[in-house]
Amino acid sequence: MTTTSTRSPRRRTVVALAVVLAILGAFLVRLVDIQVVNADEHVSDSMDKAFGASQTLYGTRGSIVDETGQTLAGSILLYDCQLDPLLITQIDAQVVAGESTATPWSTISAEVAEITGQSVEDVQKIVGDALAVNPQSRYAVLAKAVKTEQSRALADLGVPYLHCIAHPARTYPDGAVAGNVVGFVGSDGEPLEGLELAQNRCLAATDGSLAYQQGKDGVTIPGTEREVPAVDGGTLQLTINRDLNWYLQQLIAEQVQDMGALSGGILVVETATGKIRAAAEYPTVDPNDFASTAEGDLGSRIFRATFEPGSTFKALTAATVIDAGGQTPTSTVVASGRENFANGARVNDAFNHPAYTYTLAGVLMDSSNAGISRFSEKVDPQTRYDYLTRFGIGQGTSSGAYGEEAGMLHPADSWGDQMIYNTSYGQGLTTTMPELAGAYAALANDGLRMPLSLVESCTAADGTEVTPDLPDPVQVVSPQTATSTREMLENVFIQGALAKTLNVQGYRVGGKTGTGEKTDGAGGYKSGVYYTTMVGMAPIEDPEYVVVVTLDEPTKVRSSAANATAFQKAMTQVLKTYRVMPTDTAPTLLPKFG
Amino acid sequence: MSVEATARPLASVAPRRDAAPRRRLEVVAEPERRRRPRLVYGIVAVLGAFLIGAAQMCLSILTTQTSYEISSLTQQQRQLTWDRQILADDLAGLSSPQYLAANAAALGMVIDESPSFVRLSDGALLGAGQAASWISTIDPYNRGSVANSLVAETPLVTEPDATIVAPPAPETPADLTGGVSNTPPPITEGLPTPSTH
Repeated sequence: MTTTSTRSPRRRTVVALAVVLAILGAFLVRLVDIQVVNADEHVSDSMDKAFGASQTLYGTRGSIVDETGQTLAGSILLYDCQLDPLLITQIDAQVVAGESTATPWSTISAEVAEITGQSVEDVQKIVGDALAVNPQSRYAVLAKAVKTEQSRALADLGVPYLHCIAHPARTYPDGAVAGNVVGFVGSDGEPLEGLELAQNRCLAATDGSLAYQQGKDGVTIPGTEREVPAVDGGTLQLTINRDLNWYLQQLIAEQVQDMGALSGGILVVETATGKIRAAAEYPTVDPNDFASTAEGDLGSRIFRATFEPGSTFKALTAATVIDAGGQTPTSTVVASGRENFANGARVNDAFNHPAYTYTLAGVLMDSSNAGISRFSEKVDPQTRYDYLTRFGIGQGTSSGAYGEEAGMLHPADSWGDQMIYNTSYGQGLTTTMPELAGAYAALANDGLRMPLSLVESCTAADGTEVTPDLPDPVQVVSPQTATSTREMLENVFIQGALAKTLNVQGYRVGGKTGTGEKTDGAGGYKSGVYYTTMVGMAPIEDPEYVVVVTLDEPTKVRSSAANATAFQKAMTQVLKTYRVMPTDTAPTLLPKFG
Repeated sequence: MSVEATARPLASVAPRRDAAPRRRLEVVAEPERRRRPRLVYGIVAVLGAFLIGAAQMCLSILTTQTSYEISSLTQQQRQLTWDRQILADDLAGLSSPQYLAANAAALGMVIDESPSFVRLSDGALLGAGQAASWISTIDPYNRGSVANSLVAETPLVTEPDATIVAPPAPETPADLTGGVSNTPPPITEGLPTPSTH
């Protein structure tokens, strides 16, 4: 049946069919490859090639606000303006040749200079310098950080060789108010100091992008936009009160100038919460203009300076011997102005006196080194070390301030014969203003030391609020001990030499001065200059605020009396700011001698 | 049941011979009429197509039109954003405490010391209970020490010759005596604060 003649056409059909099927198959494979296997890649390729225009969507860096929501740091837009020197020469050449009616550069440069505030020569020099380096130059920076008004005025000149690019920048509406804790951001947007740096994770924004196709006239073709939205940074709320902080900054500045001191600081802590309500110091930084601030003033001395506190620690020793040594404010010791101890140590008072029978309250009132040294023998050094540690000395604080230092408290077993007594009146160890404020806040808060904080919360762009993790409060001494110690602190103020200066009318205030010796960097102490401190609390019957005032090397008045007027004004302003009610109770006067 | 009942009677009757076989006649189905093409459907289909096309065109025109509108609104929004930024730049720092305080102090206002409170329940006066002091506890006008470069050059509203960092130079009093020396005593303790209580 099958002959060659019939077989041949059939075979041809089969072959042709096979070829067609093979080609079809190949197409099919390719189709699947394009449409399914590598679809994503091709789609993104097409998007990249098709979408001509794309721009970065800048997220806004979160603002830093104070206790009441006033902005301490906010974001604005600034512009970097650049020129195209080659285009300028080309246009000028056309103008000279009569081919163009454009305004020549000589005229435009004068207008540009007027807008940017530069001199005409400077503006022309920018172009001239760029061309001198490279005659084909197409880029020269005209001015950086130009404000919106100027950049719009420049754009309105309508010249093709001038272009301004916006970039987010930082502004600090209140200038130096709390600039020491807020810190600042560099011109490139990188945080450099303070909470701007420490809390960058809260504040930083995530940039997004917008890609789209444009028509010839610059109109976006509908349906071609692809947007990855930017995520704004969170809002950082501080515990600081900016109005109070400003007042205290102005106050400490005047005090530093009046007393001829190197620097000074005021720290205010709310005792019930441990929140820092003000951290004022002078000299300090204006974050808007940090470049013109001296290097040493860029950071916060309040949080970074460690110092030998001196007599302010006598109250801590007194609280320790009441709590652990069975003493009371009226317990007595006998101490002279120059006291020799059994282990060979010798302690001098600031003034010469015969052997007095001092009460514990009297020791604090006269700030007797010898007396408190005698009292410190009522408990062993290890107990005193433990109490100091619980008061937070040498521990740093949880404030969250950038670069905060901790004081230095050597272990009790390494205390030498002299140091055993020195530590009882605040020498031979160092502390910081926040540590000192925290310790006094514990005495003010019935012995319960609340962790200090500077950051209230961080509220993200989506509304979620994060509060900082703080350590647990520490019960340092019993409430009775705290009350007794406060009574003595009040007597220090009302029976001391500075009673008149320190009087806050309508309130009962208590506290302690400290005149710490300063190391000369060579193993000894500087002669005649001190680091003076005054720390106190009010209202003493139930203290709500602790205020610490420090001056570094005051020269007009060299003792801690230099701090008195500033302390009195600071405390008055704090009580006024927070509407603390005046008292109508009378203080209990304690005897100085037994 | 009824089916069987109708089928049976024929079988019970004796067969009858017919003279001639009966011609079987049956009704022939009416030849199908040739369907005329329904013109209406065609018209509807074509019209529908046109309608869809037209609607799409309208929508497209509207979208395009809207996109121009969006573009112009975007432009307007941009302009407004710039205006807002310019105004915000102008206002920056004016709300700062040091600027406010310097303005107030230039008017002669002072920051007093202790506050007094009146208790409403019994009308008792709590606190210092004294008239305000004439001397400010701090001097933000003559000794402004809290820097703010945003308003460092901005003149005070209440004293256009001064800024937060620089109080005005003391005015030399006009010579009213016609050459006779009548100079006031020199200022030794800072500038006097204008007292306008």
